[in-house]
Parts: sequence; C-alpha cells; structure tokens
Amino acid sequence: MEIEKMIKTLQDPMGLLFYPIFIQVLMVFTFVLHIMFVNFTIGISFLSVYGYLNGGEYWKRLSKSLARATTVNISMAMVLGIAPLLFLQVVYDPFWYASNMLSAAWAIGFIFIMMLGYSLTYVFYLKRDSRGKGFALFGITAFALFLLAGSIMHVLGYQLLQPEKWLGWYIKNGAVDTSGTSLHAFQLPRFLHFIIPSFAMTGIFLMLYAWYFKDREDMDKKYLEWVSRTGAKMAFYFTAIQVIIGLWWLFSVPLEFKFFINPFFLAGAGIGIVLLYLLYSAQKDPAKYAAPSLAVAFLTIFGMSYARETLRTKYLDRFGYSIFNYKLNIDWQSTVLFLSTFIVGLIIIGYLVSVAYKSGKTTGEYAAAPSINKWGKISIALLLIWIVIFIGLGIIVSARNYL
Amino acid sequence: MYPIWIVPNLTAGIVLALIATFHILPSHLSIGATWFNVYVETKAYRENKPELLEFIKKYTLLLLVFSYVMGSLSGIGIWYAATVANPRGISGLIHNYIWAWATEWVFFIIEVTGIFIYYYTFNKVDRKTHLKIGWIFALSSWISMVVIVGILSFMLSSGKWLKTGNFFDGFFNQTYWSQLLMRTALMFGIAAVYAIAVAARLKNNDEVRRFITKTASIWGIAGLVLCFVLSFWYFKTLPEQAHGLINTLVPKELKIGIFASLGALVLYFIYAHIRPLTIRLIPAILSIAVLFAGIWSGERIREIIRKPYVISQYMYSNQIIGKDIPAKGVKAESNLINEKGILKVSPFVPEELRDINENNLLLAGRMIAVIECSACHTLDKKGIRPLPQMIKRAGFEEAEAAEAFLDGIGDYAYMPPFHGTPEEKKALANFLISLTKE
Repeated sequence: MEIEKMIKTLQDPMGLLFYPIFIQVLMVFTFVLHIMFVNFTIGISFLSVYGYLNGGEYWKRLSKSLARATTVNISMAMVLGIAPLLFLQVVYDPFWYASNMLSAAWAIGFIFIMMLGYSLTYVFYLKRDSRGKGFALFGITAFALFLLAGSIMHVLGYQLLQPEKWLGWYIKNGAVDTSGTSLHAFQLPRFLHFIIPSFAMTGIFLMLYAWYFKDREDMDKKYLEWVSRTGAKMAFYFTAIQVIIGLWWLFSVPLEFKFFINPFFLAGAGIGIVLLYLLYSAQKDPAKYAAPSLAVAFLTIFGMSYARETLRTKYLDRFGYSIFNYKLNIDWQSTVLFLSTFIVGLIIIGYLVSVAYKSGKTTGEYAAAPSINKWGKISIALLLIWIVIFIGLGIIVSARNYL
Repeated sequence: MYPIWIVPNLTAGIVLALIATFHILPSHLSIGATWFNVYVETKAYRENKPELLEFIKKYTLLLLVFSYVMGSLSGIGIWYAATVANPRGISGLIHNYIWAWATEWVFFIIEVTGIFIYYYTFNKVDRKTHLKIGWIFALSSWISMVVIVGILSFMLSSGKWLKTGNFFDGFFNQTYWSQLLMRTALMFGIAAVYAIAVAARLKNNDEVRRFITKTASIWGIAGLVLCFVLSFWYFKTLPEQAHGLINTLVPKELKIGIFASLGALVLYFIYAHIRPLTIRLIPAILSIAVLFAGIWSGERIREIIRKPYVISQYMYSNQIIGKDIPAKGVKAESNLINEKGILKVSPFVPEELRDINENNLLLAGRMIAVIECSACHTLDKKGIRPLPQMIKRAGFEEAEAAEAFLDGIGDYAYMPPFHGTPEEKKALANFLISLTKE
C-alpha cells in the first residue's frame, strides 16, 4: 500500500469540529506552556539534587525549596501537556497513533515511569530532614526517570515524522511484531535541544525566585543575592550551549526542507540571540532582569515551537499530508462551549494565582484586599453560573430527545 | 487499522481496565474529599475549633500526593492505555468530543492550581479567602465529572447522536443523568472511606478523630445508600442490548462484588459511627480494598455491557466502523471489508499475506485473528478469554464447523460479526482449529 493511501485510510472519518488553523495555534501555544514546565521540572529536580549533595548552607536551603518547586512544576507540566496532545491527536491522528502503537509498551510505560518519578520527588522533598548523602538517590532516580520519560516522548514525536519506515519497524521477516517493546528512532541533537534549555530555564527560575522574595523581610538578602547570581550564570551559559546544540541539530535536518530560511525558525533564533544578550547583561543585577528574561525566553520558545510545527508540516508534506486538507464538520456549539469556558477559566485561575502570589510575598498572614475578595466572589459565581447553564442546557436537550 | 499491541495473556484492554479502575480511587476521592474539606473547615471556623484544621491539612496532603500524583497520572494513563488498546476508538471519541475534553482540561487546570494553593496557603491567607479557594476547587472538580461522564456514557449509549451527529445529543444521552448522579453519590462514599483512614492516623487527638469518623461515616452511609438507589435508575436507562448482556454475559462474581462491597462498607460505616475510636489503620486500609473491589466490579460490568461495541452502535470493539453516520459523512466499513478483504484494506499487513494461498493459510488466519479478535481474546493458551481453550470447548474439529460458527458469530449479542472475504473466513477458521491441536 502506498504511504499516501495508508495515511488516508488511517485518518479519522469524523473530520474536524473546527478550522485547523485554530487548532494548530492552540496546539503550539499550549505546547509552549507545557514544554516550559517540562524544562523547569527537569532542571529544577537536577539542581535540587545537586544542592543536596553539595551540602553548603545556601545550597541545602535552596535544594529544599527546589524539591518542593519540582512537585508543583511536574503537576503543571502534566496538566499543560494534555491540551497540546489532545490537539495533536485531532489534526495528526494517523501519525501519533501509528507511532504509539509501534512502541505501545513504552507509551504506556511512560505513565508508570512518571508515577514513580513523581512519587520519589515527594519522598525527596518530604522526608529529607536529617538524612545522609545516600538519600539523594531518591532525587537522582526521579531525575533519571524524568529524562527517560522525555526520551520516550521524543521517540514518539520523532517516529511520527517517518511514515516511510513504519512498516519496516512493524513487520520483520514476514511477521508482525505486536509486542510494542521497541523504540525505533532517536535523534540525539533533537533530544538535547529539548533538554538543555531545562538548565537555562532553571537559571531564570532562580532569578525569578530572588526577585520575588526580595521584599520579604524574613528572607536573608545575602542568600537571595547568591541565588540570583547562580541563576544568572546558569541561564547564560546554558543558553549559549543551547545555541551550539541548535546548530548541530540544524545540520541534521534534511537539506531539502530549507529549514535555515524558515521565517519562524529565523524569528525564534533571532529572539534567542536577544535572550543571550539579555542574560549577559543580567549578570550585574540578575533580579532586575528576571521578569524580562522570562518574557524573552517565552518568545524564543514560542518562535521555536512554531518553527518545529512548520518543520513537521514539511516532513509530512512529502506524503501529501496537510492538516489544512482535513475534512471539516464544523460544530459551533461545542466550540463556543470551550471558548467561553476558557475565558471563565482564565478569570478563575487569575484569582487563584493572585492570591498565591500576594500571600507568598507577605510575611505572616495575607489579608486579601477588597478587590481580590471581589474577584474571588466573581470566580465562585462564574462556576455556579456555568453549572446552571450547562445543566439547564442538558435538561432541555434531554427533554427534547427523550420525553 | 493501526498496528496492534498484544499483551501476552492479558490483552491490552485489561491493561486499560486496570488503570481505569485504579483511577477511580484517587479521582473520585479528589472530588468528594474537597466537599468534605470545605464542610469541616467551615465548621472549624464557625465553632472555633482550630484543632480540626490539623485533620484537613493531613487530608489535603493525601489529596495532593495521592490524587494529584497517582490520580492525574492514572487519568492521563487511561487516555494512553486507550490509545494503545484501541486507537481508532479514542480517535473517534476525540474527533467528536475534542471541545468537551478541552473544557474539562480548563477545570483540571483550576483543580491543580487550586489544590496546591489550598494546601500551601493554610494559615498564610485569611480564612475567608482560604475557604473561597476550597469552594472553587470543590466546584471545579465536580464540574470535571459533569463533563467526563458525558463522554463515558456516550460510549455506552450514543443516543440521538447516531442520527443527528450533534455534540449535545450524544453528550446528554439516555444514561448521562443516572450515571452522573450515581457517581456523585458514590464520590461521597469514597471520600468518607479515606477521611476515616486519615483520621485513624491522627495521634493524641481523640476528639478530632471521633468527630471526623462520626461525620464521615454519615456521609459514607448517605452516599452509598443513595448510590445504591440510583443504580436502579441507571439500570433502567441502560440500552436494551445491555440488559441482555447483564443476564447472559456478566459473571456472577462481578454482580456479587458490587453488592457485597456496598453492604460491607455500609456495615463498616455503621460500626465506625458507633465506635469511632476503635478504627485503626488496618481496618481503614481494608475498607479501601473492599471499595476497590466494588468499583472494579461496577466498571467491569460497564465495559462488558458495552459489547460488542467500543462506541455504542458505531464502532466495534475491534475498531471496525459498523454503521453509517450520515450527519458526519461517515460510511460503515463492513461492506468494503467484506468485499475486498480485511488483509487488503489494512495498511499494517505483511505483503505476502494479502493474497491467501495454501502456503500462507494459517499465517493469514493468524493475522486476521490479531486484527479482529485480539482486542478481547488472548491467542495464548491461558489468560483472558483464551481462543485455544474456547475453540476447544466449542468442540470444533473441522475447519468447516469453525467457518459455520464464524458465519453466525454476529448473532451473539456481545460479538462483532466476522468481517472479511470467504477466503479470509476460511483462513481464520483453519487458524482457529490449528490452535486446538497445539
């Protein structure tokens, strides 16, 4: 069977509920958020182990904060990973599913690896008091598991791009391999290009940490100064390394795609250079540069992620596949449901994050300002209104259909 | 048809079932527990009983670690397992319900940020604000159930969607409300089981232990009794096909499992209510095991009565689309496969098996079994519905007998019909017979 025909056969006959460009933008945007937290998770968990083993007073203190931060970051990485994966399965279903089936045991193993890694992270955070160096094993294992989980995702994402090899991976000597225990494609520079930013982002995380706590009276100023300088150094050097890895990876991309003149790639790389310059300048007063560094890092990742998406388009265009040719079954009702829920969600998440932000900056108990209180009331009201509307709609639909 | 993943002895479907059943423990806990939390927290503030906060903090940490590590990951795990067990099934669901999942995702973000902030702002924000966070968390997690039950019940009974292809027609189908309310009641029972377990671990605080255990046991009894009552309504709303399967296919053990577990838990709650301080960790953990057994039975039954479909009326368990959905421009695949052959239309088939001859008959038959049977039957000698044993038990000795059996297989309420050409049927029949001779 020809590859084009195979992909057409695999594609879901239901079509898309909304325009592919919209899904693509959402997919890339949510992927950026996801990968940032993945980077934080990997880098921060590494640094918390390093700090624990180093044993210096500041390092020990930082290590504990970072171990705790790791738990929050994993959760965020997970929850933010759902959306891009959902959208990927909508517009790239033949590729994602085929790739998963070819390494099914690993795809499901990913979940157990993450469960174990996450649990160990909690042990490393909660049970660390008065333990010896050997206790770091919990943190080290967790870090190694996160890297393994990252490798699996990398392989699944990379196998997806190569439908011309699928049959060869599945069928050996005339028999099908239904075990799903093999990983078939791994590309080191591409993988490293995902992993190295973890350490740069963690540097920026430390800068933010120092910036955030600088007004808290009960925080040791010298400690914060040390944290921010350590962070700025890390962020700068690892961003520089990332540039080199990026070049290495660029040379591994098939020349026929002419990726080096891809506008998204050039934009991402350009902003990346700005970031490098910014981080260089940040060395003198890192805390001041913390927020701008994060913003520019976000833009860099966004540019690069869109570039990655256009690269995927090029890979799959070889087989005549484009998400823009997907059959459409436009459904405004459920699209509006999501969009309105999304806006409601942003308001509520905004409230939660504001409370957390303000209480973290306050020494002692934070008493919410009237405006924040109002925001909280609105949030609860919005949830109740959502329930009333949705359940109401359900009752109307059910009454119409079944009474 | 995608490549197939076969788990020796087990089938990929059972891996999915295990993860899905496990997921109910942390997920329903999360939803129920927060309602219990905001109740106890309100009481602690109103009656000025700060000692209750110690319990809430412990209970929330359990939530944080168990529900938001194991719960979130096993939730995503269901999705992954469904992907590798039945990629076309999950694809069909996602292509219909992408915005429902995206909507649930919004509430999931609220839940996750909410639980962390709720836990880490204990005594760090004023009481009213803290309670607000609790309420936001409680409402959002219940809403996530409101959304996901729509998709779950759609798989069981696709309602008017078959005709209209409309999102809400499929979502608010005939089993939606009964299932939503039944699960809502159940979540209080689950929350109570855990609350008592957490209370059992409180040291030097008998007053709090007594209060929590007594309160939780009332919640537990109310939740489970209500769940029991609602289950009759749920039963009534099930499609006719499902009723038949409950009588014929569902093993007695599963039915007993539900009622025994419900009964045992109610007795446990009554005992806990009368003698709250005698409940220590071991009985508390046992109660969780009993709970798990009950949920396992219930969820297995739900899976079984969905047969022979993975998406009610639309897609068979083996991923073949069996019905036109004109509103969506979808054509059933049965005719195409019967005309051209499953080995011809499936991309992931070795080229030398596409045309059947004397030499590849058994290999081709095996390939067909992998594609059409392995979702529910292991090809191994032992395990889940093992084909070798089942064919032996049926007593077929000749391929012709097995072929005749395949002709009528769709008449069994729980089996998809055979899809393929007559030559393919012959190949499969020969392969099945060969299994009995090994």
